[in-house]
This record gives sequence, structure tokens and C-alpha cells, in this order.
Amino acid sequence: MKIYFYLSLVPESLIASNLPPEDFGTYYATGAEKQSRGQAIFFEVSPFESNYFSFQDAESACVPHGDGQPKNSVYMGIYRVLEHIPLSSLKSLYLVTDDGKVLGIEQASFSETEPKHSYYLYQECCPTSSIVVSRLNSIDFCASMTNREHPISVSKLVFCDLMLDELANDADSQNIDDLPYERIPHLRNCLHQLEQNPQKMTKVFHRGIYPNVLYRTVNYGFFVGDHTNVLYYPLPSRHKLEREYYQWWRSALNTFRR
Amino acid sequence: MSSFWFWIIPFSALTALLFAFFFFKQMMREKEGNETMKKIAHHIRVGSLAYLKQQYKIVSAIFVIIALIFSFLAFGLNVQSPWLPLTLISGGFFSGLAGYLGMRTATYASARTANAAMESLDRGLKVAFRSGAVMGLVVVGLGLLNVSGWFAILSYFVETSLPSQKLIMVTTTMLTFGMGASLQALFARVGGGIFTKAADVGADLVGKVEAGIPEDDPRNPATIADNVGDNVGDVAGMGADLYESYCGSILATAALGAATFAGSQFSADLQLKAVLAPMVIGAVGTLLSIFGIFLVRAKSDASSKDLLKALNTGIYASAGLIVVVSLFILHLLELPNATGIWGSVVIGLLTGIAIGKATEYYTSPLYSPTRRVAEQASKGPANVIISGLGEGMISSSFPVLAIVVGTFLAYAFASSDFGFGSKSMTMGLYGIGMAAVGMLSTLGITLATDAYGPIADNAGGNAEMSGLDPEVRRRTDTLDSLGNTTAAMGKGFAIGSAALTALALLASYIEALKMGMQNINMNSILINEISIPTHALTLENLMVYYQVHLLNPKVLLGIFIGAMMAFLFCGLTMNAVGRSASKMIVEVRRQFREIKGIFEGTTEPDYAECVKITTLSAQKEMLAPALFAVIAPVAVGIIFGVAGVLGLLTGALAGGFTLAVFMANSGGAWDNAKKFIEEGNFGGKGSESHKSAVIGDTVGDPFKDTSGPSLNILIKLMTMVAIVMSGVTVSFSLF
Repeated sequence: MKIYFYLSLVPESLIASNLPPEDFGTYYATGAEKQSRGQAIFFEVSPFESNYFSFQDAESACVPHGDGQPKNSVYMGIYRVLEHIPLSSLKSLYLVTDDGKVLGIEQASFSETEPKHSYYLYQECCPTSSIVVSRLNSIDFCASMTNREHPISVSKLVFCDLMLDELANDADSQNIDDLPYERIPHLRNCLHQLEQNPQKMTKVFHRGIYPNVLYRTVNYGFFVGDHTNVLYYPLPSRHKLEREYYQWWRSALNTFRR
Repeated sequence: MSSFWFWIIPFSALTALLFAFFFFKQMMREKEGNETMKKIAHHIRVGSLAYLKQQYKIVSAIFVIIALIFSFLAFGLNVQSPWLPLTLISGGFFSGLAGYLGMRTATYASARTANAAMESLDRGLKVAFRSGAVMGLVVVGLGLLNVSGWFAILSYFVETSLPSQKLIMVTTTMLTFGMGASLQALFARVGGGIFTKAADVGADLVGKVEAGIPEDDPRNPATIADNVGDNVGDVAGMGADLYESYCGSILATAALGAATFAGSQFSADLQLKAVLAPMVIGAVGTLLSIFGIFLVRAKSDASSKDLLKALNTGIYASAGLIVVVSLFILHLLELPNATGIWGSVVIGLLTGIAIGKATEYYTSPLYSPTRRVAEQASKGPANVIISGLGEGMISSSFPVLAIVVGTFLAYAFASSDFGFGSKSMTMGLYGIGMAAVGMLSTLGITLATDAYGPIADNAGGNAEMSGLDPEVRRRTDTLDSLGNTTAAMGKGFAIGSAALTALALLASYIEALKMGMQNINMNSILINEISIPTHALTLENLMVYYQVHLLNPKVLLGIFIGAMMAFLFCGLTMNAVGRSASKMIVEVRRQFREIKGIFEGTTEPDYAECVKITTLSAQKEMLAPALFAVIAPVAVGIIFGVAGVLGLLTGALAGGFTLAVFMANSGGAWDNAKKFIEEGNFGGKGSESHKSAVIGDTVGDPFKDTSGPSLNILIKLMTMVAIVMSGVTVSFSLF
């Protein structure tokens, strides 16, 4: 039976499985007995040369059960997994809703799509999990956060950009009805700090742990990168989500931030 | 001449039923859509019919028991009319039939509406509205058929010593037919209300909150029960409810007409015309409703605004025409002060419209009360609850004041006496009855706009579960939202007519007392040492004889008990929803746990089991509140006598009506506040505001769909029971 490799963002882990991505996503969100519920985000990974992970061991462990049922998951490693996976091995990204609806998205060219704003809001998904406001666009933000010369940095980062609506250009705008964030005054305050201090590039808006990404707030898509390279996974347009991926989108809209 | 007027009534009834059949056939000719759509519609239809079958089984048994008790009271103790067992069963049967036919149509119509919406918005509207019209026309058709049928039968068989007493006897006997309709309506509203909200809460809490799957998702075992609930509660329950209001208003006014024109100064022909007048206005209103239904049409590329205009054209054209035509009818009937009585009819219509507009104002997200509730959601769930309760309480003032002003004017116009002198009291009360009749005269079309809402709602559910194109879902959502707007008017008419009908019934109770006295051979009574024959007793005589005044503790105690009954009834029905929902929750969890493949969508959940569990639970839970409603007037009558009963009915009317408006509007405001947030306000979907609003909506569900609408029936059922049991009250009261 074929073996697939997945990089899960929460918890950060590399997993081998006999399940193809859609089935793995459903299993991962709802459990083998369908009793569990929880959002999942993962990349499919091509095998690569590694001294850190043992693909050989995984292949020998990831075999179907005696009754022929596929092996759901064999954990190959947890903690500091992302930094040990080359970006070139990352294939599609899969976004799974609480009830196990899976949307696969492909890499695309980034520069053509993102317009310039004064401010951006990013949710870090792995290995850190803060929400930060920044004056940097996605590429520059990724480069900044993965600059190892900087004391506060990681070697690789997965993050997504979130909607700011009119706040993206005007921190005092009142037209923010459709933004589901808590503590909007604090958000404004963070934006004002960027505004008042031109040297400041980023400001943490929320340092707590947000295991969930509220998919409906994702602006353009997901990014994964290191200091030199960024991969971009665009979320389909709202129109396309409603027409072509409606079941996933309905399920995504049903999510509350937990 | 009078027989001509009479024949208009069955003619109208049969015309309404004929058009209902025509619209039904027209709807059935529409395509039901693809296989998935058909399968979902089939599940809902089977579940809905299974529910009604079970309900009618239990209700039939109860009717048989009550009919046997009435037979004993009539033939054994001679304290009741011998017609009572028959009229009771007839009223119950036709009320149930109206609900059944309306619901059956709705279950066939939802998939067809969704399918028609694939073509265009106006096609969807046409199918849904014409299907709603089936319900409207069946209710008024069966109502008029029953009223005219019983009038003909009783006029033929009833014999009295005095000719002027015959119509009083006929009309007060006909009133007892209203008890069957009220009892059936209460079971339909309470049982259907418990079912629909238990299924809704079960589907939401386990499906949406615990399992995280969206609304109307076929993987949710409670989804079909939820849709079944819309049909049994919103369609069958509402049909039985309004059938009862419609017949009740006509019967009470006819009884008041017979009493008002019974004196020797009036001719027998005039008395008959006064009895026929409310029936004829209802009959002509029915024909105008059919005309109005045909006016509801829009171009194929119509926008939602055009559709709303089309719906309003139909409603307002029918209402406008009945205003004009009723003036001619009343003058042609040569009733004394015909223009004044016409004024009462117009006041009734205007009161209904005013209450409808107030309902819309307090529950629509277009206006500030609902927006204030939505705004409070950003502060947390407690604020949403407090705000919804507050707005709901405030919202009760306008409808109550509208009823006060409407009643005042209807009374004053009909009696031509703004000083409220006692001599013109019966004429004034007749005017109040005519106001209720005026309000419900175009029920055929107002109910069509009301019943169309759940059909559009179910069509949306079908489109959702069948995964139809988002454009189709947007169209069914538009139809649903249009339905909510027009239904506000229907609700206004239902609430207003309930209050006015209850007032008219209260006056009819006095007439029924006279019949009760005659049944036990109490042929005269002594008032101030003067013997007055029972048939010649006036309202004032009876008030004096039974000491019905506010300083009599029996009246005051009755008022307390009446007001308490409204709250007791609400508490029982709300708790019933909670208990039934718990059973649903346990079952949905079990299915998610035990049935493999539900989540993947590879195995179908056991929808039927959810329907069965909720059905049995709703049936069990509806009994206690309904029995309290039946027992209270009998017990108060036996303990505190006529004065106590009148106090009870007054307390129940004042407390119950206000509570009903509060509950319906609070629930509506919570529901629409959530929708307003989902449209992208105050944080939109997924925000903390949304979470708080969902909690408010869940609390509001039994408010607006179970307890609130049932209160109107409770008030009228208690009055009907008091009327029917007046003989027992007169014979056996302890104090």
C-alpha cells in the first residue's frame, strides 16, 4: 500500500500514513472513531534525504493492519520538524475543517497577486503561534522572521495573512464590521504604534496560542519560507469557494475561533 | 333575501376549496428536481406524516374521552347541549384536516420550490406562494363550510318556545364547535412547537456546536427532524391555530349578533342578518383573497424588491377591496348603524396592520431594536439575553395599545356611543367581534404569505442538503427572507385577532350562561326581588346576579389565577422543549458514535429514529399543558362560580396576550440579530458576537415558536371551555 508523508502544523510533526491526503485530513480532524473534532493544516511531503528523520523506519512501520485496513499514522518526529524539511519537498497544502472537510491548495507565484497596504496582519502557524501586525509585506515579513542574525527568529515559518479590511490603510477606520477579532481597540493600538514608530516593523497583537485559523479571515493565503525562499499557497477566491468548494466553505464558515 | 346571503357562505367555501385543489395540482405538476432533492423531500414528507399520524392518534383518543364525558353531562345530567359531543368532534376533525392538508402540500412543495428557483426567483416565488395559498384557502374553505353546515343543521333541528331564542340557541351551540377546533389547535401548536424546537436545538447543539458540521447538513441525523419540525410546527400548527381563530371570531360575533337583535323591537329577519353578517364578510373576504392571490405575479427577471411589491399588492388589494365591499354588504343587509359597524370592520383591519408593522419594527434587522440586540452581542451572551428580553417587553406595549384603541373605536363605532352607556353595550360588543372578523376576513391571502415562509425555508434546506448551485441557495434565501417580512403582517393579524376574538368570546360566555341556565331548567332568576325570565336577561342583569365586579374577591382571585396560567403554561412548554431536546441530543450523539461512515457521508444516518424519538417525546410533553388549559376553567368554575371564571378569563387574556407578544418578539429579535451579525456586522460569522448571538437565538427558539404562539390558543381554549362548561359552572359551583 502506498505511503504518504505529511507535515502537520499542529502539533508540529512528520507523519507517515497509508491514507491519501483527503482521507488523512478527515481522519486527522475527526479521529478513527469520528469522536474527535479539531481543525488540521498539513503539507504533503515528498521523501528527501535526511539524517534527522528515518524514512526507512517509517516505511517499515507504516504497513496495513492485519485485516487489510490502512495504517492511519506513524509519527516520524515531533518538535522542530519544519526546520528539518527542505522547502523543495513540500507539495500541496491541505486545510481541514473541524468536521473533516478537506481543501487542497497548490503553490502559486506570489508577487502578482498582493497589492500594497500600509499594514498587514499575520497569523503564525508553525513553529510559533502568535498574531502580529506588520508594515512588511508577506515576503519581507517572512525574510525578517527567518533572519537568523536577528535574535528573535526561526529558521522556517508557516503563516497566513489575515483580513484587516480598511484598517490595512487606516488604523482609525470604523468600517470593520466583518472582522471577527477580539480586542479591536488593542489591534488599533498596535497599528498606531507602528504608525508612530517608523523603525518598528512588527508588533505582536496576540501572543497567546491560537491553534485554529479562522479560514474565512484568511486574506490571500498561506506562506512557508526561510530567509531566502518563500512558497505561496493562495486560498481560492470567495467566489470560487462558494461555487467549487462549497461543502468545505460552509464547514469553514461554521468554525468559531476556539 | 336572507337565504341568498346564506348561500354565499357555502359557495365561497367550495370556491376556496376548489382553488386550493387547483393550486395543489398546479404545484404537483412542477418537477421535484434531481434524485437527491427527491430523496430529501421524501424523508421529510414521511417524517412529517408519521408525526401527524401519531399526534392524531393520541388527540383522537382524548377527543373520544372528552366526548364521552360531554355525552354523560348532556344525556345523564342534562347540564349540556346534546349537540356538544358532535360539535366538539367536528371542530377538532376539521381543524386537524386543515393542518394536515396544508402540511401535506408544504412537504410536496419544498423540493419543487427549490427546483423552480433554479430557473428564476419569480418561478420559485410562484410555486412557494401558490402552495402557501393552498393552506390559506383550505383553512378558510373548511372553516366557512363548517360554520355554514352547522348553521344549516342546527337551524333545522333546534326548537325553542320563543322564535327570537332560536338563533341564540343555534349560535351558542355552534360556539361549542369552536372548542374542538381550539383543543386541536392547542395540541397542534404545543406538540408541533415542542417537536420543532427540540429537533432544532438537538440538531444545532450536537451537529453544529459539538460535531462542528454546518446547518442543514445531511450527515446530521437531526437534520430531517429539524425540517419535519418546520412543517409540523410552522405549517400544520399554524393552520390549526388560524382555523380556530377564524371560526372563533365568526362564531362569537354571530352569537353576539343573535343576542343583540333578540328583543321584540327587532324583526326575526334582522336578527338572522346580524348573525349572517360576519359569515358573509368572511365569505366575500375569501373570494377577494383568491383575487388577491392571482395578483401576486412578477416578471421573470424580478428582483427581491419587485417580489415584495407583488406580495404586498395581493395583500393590500384584498384588504382594500374588503373595506369597500363590506360597506355595501352591511348596508344591503340593512343592519342598524351599518356604517358604524363597517367602521368597526375597518378598525379591525387597521389594528391588524398596525400590529403587523409593530412586529416588523421590533423584529426586523432593518430597524433599531434588533440592531441594538445585535450590538449587545459584542458585549457577551448575557447582554444579548438581557437586551432581547428588554426589547421584547417594550415591544408588547404597542400591540396592547393598538388593541386598546382598536377595541375602543370598534365598540364606539358600532354602538354609536362614545360615552360607553350600558344600553348600547351589546351593540358595542358586536362591533368588537366584527373588528376581529374584519381582521381575519382576508385570511386566505394573509395565511398564504405566512405559510409560504416555511415552504421557502424548507426549499432552502433542500437546496443546501442537495448541494445545489450557490445561486439557487441565494434565491431560496431571498424567498425565505421575503417570507419573513410578509409573515410579520400575518402574525400581526393572528395576534390581534386572537385578542379581539377572546374579547368577543368573553361576551359570548354571558350568552352561553343563559343557555346553561335553560339547560338545567332555570327559567327565571330574582334580581332586586324582581323575577326575570332567563331568556330576557341582559348582560347587566347577569353581572348583577353573579356579582361580577372588581370588589368581589372571587373575580380578583380568578384574575390572579388567569394571569398565573399564562406563565405556568409557558413554563411547562419551555421545559418540555428542554426535555425533548435532551432526548434528541442523546440520540444524535449515539448515532455519531455507533454508525460508521456518517461523518464521511458514506452511510446515511437513521433520520427516522430521530423523528420517532422527538415525536413520542413531543406527544407526551404536550399533554400536561393542554390538560391544565382544559381543567383550569372547569375547576375555577366549580370552586368560584361564574364570577371566578370571568376573572380567570380576564386575567388569562390580559396576562397571556401581553406575554405572547413579548415572547414572540423577543424570539424574533434574537433570531434576526444573529442573522444581522452573520451578514457581516459586529464581527460577522465566527466572532465572539456571533457566538453570543447564537446563544440568544437558541434561547429565543422556544419563545417564538413554542410558548409564544401557543398562548393565543390557550386564551381562546380556556374561554371556549368556559363557554362549553357554563352549564356545569351554573349547576355545581361551590361558592
